[in-house]
Amino acid sequence: MIELTIDNKKVAVEPNTTLLEAANEINVNIPTLCFADDLTVYGGCRLCVVEVEGENRLRPACNTRARQGMVVKTHSPRVREVRETLFELIIASHDISCELNCLTCSRKSSCQLKDVAEDIDVSRMRLEPGDEEEEYDRSSHSIVREPNKCITCARCIRKCEEIQGVGVFAKASRGPETRVTTFKDKGMGNVECTNCGQCVVSCPTGALHEVYHMEKVWDALYDEDKHVIVQTAPSVRVAIAEAFGEEPGTIATGQMVAALRRLGFDRVFDTNFTADLTIMEEGTEVVDRVVNNDRLPVLTSCSPGWIKFIEHFYPEHLENLSSAKSPQQMFGAVAKNYYAEKIGISPDDLVVVSIMPCTAKKFEARRPEMSDDVDYVLTTREAARMLKSVGVNACDLEPEDYDEMLGVSSGAGDIFGASGGVMEAAIRTAYNLITGEELEEIEITPVRGLQGLKTASIPVTEDLTLRVGIAHGLNNAKKMMEKIKAGEEFHFVEFMACPGGCISGGGQPINTELTWQEVRERRIASLYEIDENKEMRRSHLNPKIKKLYEEYLEEPGSAKAHKLLHTDYTVRGVPGA
Amino acid sequence: MVQERKFLKGPRLRNPADYDFPGLQRALKMEPEEVIQEISESKLLGRGGAGFPTGTKWDMAFKEEGEFKYIICNADEGEPGTFKDRYLLDERTLKVLEGMLIGAYVIDADYGYIYIRGEYFKSIKILQEALEEAREAGILGENILGSDFSFDIKLVRGAGCYVCGDETSLLNSLEGMRGQSRTKPPYPISKGLCGCPTLVNNVESLACVAEILHQGASEFATMGTEDSKGTKLVCLSGDVNYPGVYEVEFGSSTLQEIITDLGGGPRKSHDIKFVIPGGLSTRILTRDKLDYKYSYEGLEEAGSSLGSGGVMVVGSEQDLTAILTRIARFYMDESCGTCFPCREGNQQIYKIISRVGKGKFTVNQLEIIEDLGNAMAEAARCGLGQSAQYPTGTILAEFKEELVEGAVY
Ligand SMILES: Cc1cc2nc3c(=O)[nH]c(=O)nc-3n(C[C@H](O)[C@H](O)[C@H](O)COP(=O)(O)O)c2cc1C
Ligand code: SF4
Ligand code: SF4
Ligand code: SF4
Ligand code: FES
Repeated sequence: MIELTIDNKKVAVEPNTTLLEAANEINVNIPTLCFADDLTVYGGCRLCVVEVEGENRLRPACNTRARQGMVVKTHSPRVREVRETLFELIIASHDISCELNCLTCSRKSSCQLKDVAEDIDVSRMRLEPGDEEEEYDRSSHSIVREPNKCITCARCIRKCEEIQGVGVFAKASRGPETRVTTFKDKGMGNVECTNCGQCVVSCPTGALHEVYHMEKVWDALYDEDKHVIVQTAPSVRVAIAEAFGEEPGTIATGQMVAALRRLGFDRVFDTNFTADLTIMEEGTEVVDRVVNNDRLPVLTSCSPGWIKFIEHFYPEHLENLSSAKSPQQMFGAVAKNYYAEKIGISPDDLVVVSIMPCTAKKFEARRPEMSDDVDYVLTTREAARMLKSVGVNACDLEPEDYDEMLGVSSGAGDIFGASGGVMEAAIRTAYNLITGEELEEIEITPVRGLQGLKTASIPVTEDLTLRVGIAHGLNNAKKMMEKIKAGEEFHFVEFMACPGGCISGGGQPINTELTWQEVRERRIASLYEIDENKEMRRSHLNPKIKKLYEEYLEEPGSAKAHKLLHTDYTVRGVPGA
Repeated sequence: MVQERKFLKGPRLRNPADYDFPGLQRALKMEPEEVIQEISESKLLGRGGAGFPTGTKWDMAFKEEGEFKYIICNADEGEPGTFKDRYLLDERTLKVLEGMLIGAYVIDADYGYIYIRGEYFKSIKILQEALEEAREAGILGENILGSDFSFDIKLVRGAGCYVCGDETSLLNSLEGMRGQSRTKPPYPISKGLCGCPTLVNNVESLACVAEILHQGASEFATMGTEDSKGTKLVCLSGDVNYPGVYEVEFGSSTLQEIITDLGGGPRKSHDIKFVIPGGLSTRILTRDKLDYKYSYEGLEEAGSSLGSGGVMVVGSEQDLTAILTRIARFYMDESCGTCFPCREGNQQIYKIISRVGKGKFTVNQLEIIEDLGNAMAEAARCGLGQSAQYPTGTILAEFKEELVEGAVY
């Protein structure tokens, strides 16, 4: 152990601990901006500087290792003076001056600049703000970039490269012209961006945000002639409360349903219902392909960020993908066909809105393969904003139930939001499809958890042990694909673009206080809790699913099911590679 | 009268056929530790600007283990007012190669790079030819001079970027990455080029090594003062009659004497207004501070530092605001843009200075520049940002009366 003194307090830490971590141990908060717990150290903002006795300059706490006997001051006059000047500089580089900027910003309630201002108690601003007019990047279906708000902290660059293995962003130019951009300034919509939105949740400012569908949804809600229905993804219910000041992982399913009714949706349905449907279709496909040794391994297809990733980087493996649409798109297809028919309205008068933890779902809904089954996609954050503006607190209301027809789901649907959840749900059903019996040990722990790559062998019959793999975060997806390419054998592999799964998708509320790891753990724990407390925990036992097949789709994998619930993919590759 | 002391200077040395590499010959007969010992005894300090003891650096590089090891000659010479490396590259070409070869032998480097300022067209041509001829003469390649030692060097041109003279930015540039500094630690010595242990030395440091091995550490250590051994190539420029590269023994003279005796004094009717003594990124010295001995410690005592050895003399008729504007512009443009104090600080300082134009600064503006400069010095990520405010800050401080509105100081 290394002993040092921070702010007159002795602290003992492991070797290689940074001063930032050491200060944390004695509950001293050092302001940071470019630092993120899941990314490499960048040392750009310098807000974390501290005074180290015997050194002639201040040292960045995020990139200075504790040494034996070090004497550190985190808020000496010298430090506070420099920090405040640095903050003035940052604010001058960040366009907050123009009309209503902070007030209309996507990050008005989760701005890290504001947090820092409070932390260091800023009292002055003497510099002229930057005046460069920079064009917004609106090339993407999912994400907008407002470069005038960018402070070039490179968190998006690092997130996309280190965690997602994509590398869409880079810095260009130098000096005051330094900026973050995409290859040849083509824009996010014209490069290999997967739309996962991990850059958005990494950004300390409002420089990156989703493409808003809020206005469109308001219009639909106010339109008397439209029947507007909404579906909510599994992960939304354990996160939306955060936008109303609750702790991450707060379960607010019933309250959210009630709130959405107040907002004016004609029906409130559950994406979990079509998660169960996905399991029926995908599970059937997996069983079929495993039995026939057909294009193994089967790769899951419910994460649209992952789909765009594989289309770009492993197009030669598209045939391995399950042809099943994602739950969002299955919902859209079922709604525009079965549901419209049942309630007797024209699909043209039906507006399908989804609330998703995900920015990639916005892109997915616009894929030509999906024939506009889902009209608008709101992120969890957008949904919360809309609820706030009708004066509704999604945590305060008396809980209500989903509307029945497309709103009943098993616990298997809930856990879709966590890495390993799709796998677990699929195994629960595949076991039944193969053996005709129910799996006893319903909780399949080897596929749970936050390790980047998970593999497990699940005994099914005497002759068949399912070899499964799970990857979350696209850099891990890349590693998994390399394993597969190297010949490692799997029957079925689950992929989720976002680290931890949809619960930390790019559309989720942004917590600026806890680490991502903590936030993920709490949201995941809540999903498993919901599953545990449900009577019905197997997709194939969902009575409404059975009914849907009886009344409409015939059986899993039928021609009709194929027409509505399955899709194909686009070879994209990497231009120039 | 101050005289030059020619230790590094000498006749043109470009063709390996005319030179027998005595320093290298001697080094090859010694154990690496013995060579390091000799460099340490010479007390040579790195001539790239930071003045880090070369012996210590080599010892660390020697002890590092890695799959590959590299040695890099930093010939970027971007510091305004500095042009001594160009002299060595052009005239004493083989001494520089020799220093690199000795370094490579000592640390057991697999490969070497010379990273040269892109605008040095003539030097590039000379070096290319010298490297080619050295290969033909068996000075580079397999079994150099009949020993077991094999080594080769590649010449790489910079692309016109001051910050790439900083060793960590240089490494990025060499790797084909954006020219921006790296966070330290890790230091290049342990994780440099492509993550391998890398020794980076300035051209002049390497030439010194070649001479030290040739003439002996004791010879080197007879020159200079206790803390500044040997000689220094001084680049005299600005308002002097005879600008140029002069070799000066440390402690033998004052800045004033160097300017008067070697530079022929201020040009035309000019009086000296101030001197920037160690390349642009050092604090200025006003006329009354020029009587300190020219040595690391002497200039420090005077309130500045020796830096790269670029001595810029500014005459009394120069327009201070024009100088300030150019300096501010330089640092603003050359900031790699990674860290906030340097990128934004230099930009703000430039904005203020250019807004003042030919007019006067308000006390407020002065205070802001001071604060910005202080934040940069305290908190910038690399040497560029840390020292960018030295000339500006000291000009403003020393010439307040001239520059600041209604200044009563
Ligand atoms: C902005 C900046 C520019 C630099 N430019 C040069 C340069 O042009 N040449 C050089 O040798 N060192 C330069 N340096 C210093 C190098 O980083 C490094 O310290 C030096 O090459 C080490 O060699 P030495 O130990 O032989 O002096 C620069 C440093 C900074 C921060
Ligand atoms: S877009 Fe956001 S995360 Fe990316 S560099 Fe700019 S401020 Fe940082
Ligand atoms: S959305 Fe995902 S892939 Fe696209 S730039 Fe952001 S992190 Fe990278
Ligand atoms: S001090 Fe300037 S040049 Fe150095 S890292 Fe910071 S921005 Fe780049
Ligand atoms: S948090 Fe340490 S430099 Fe930005």
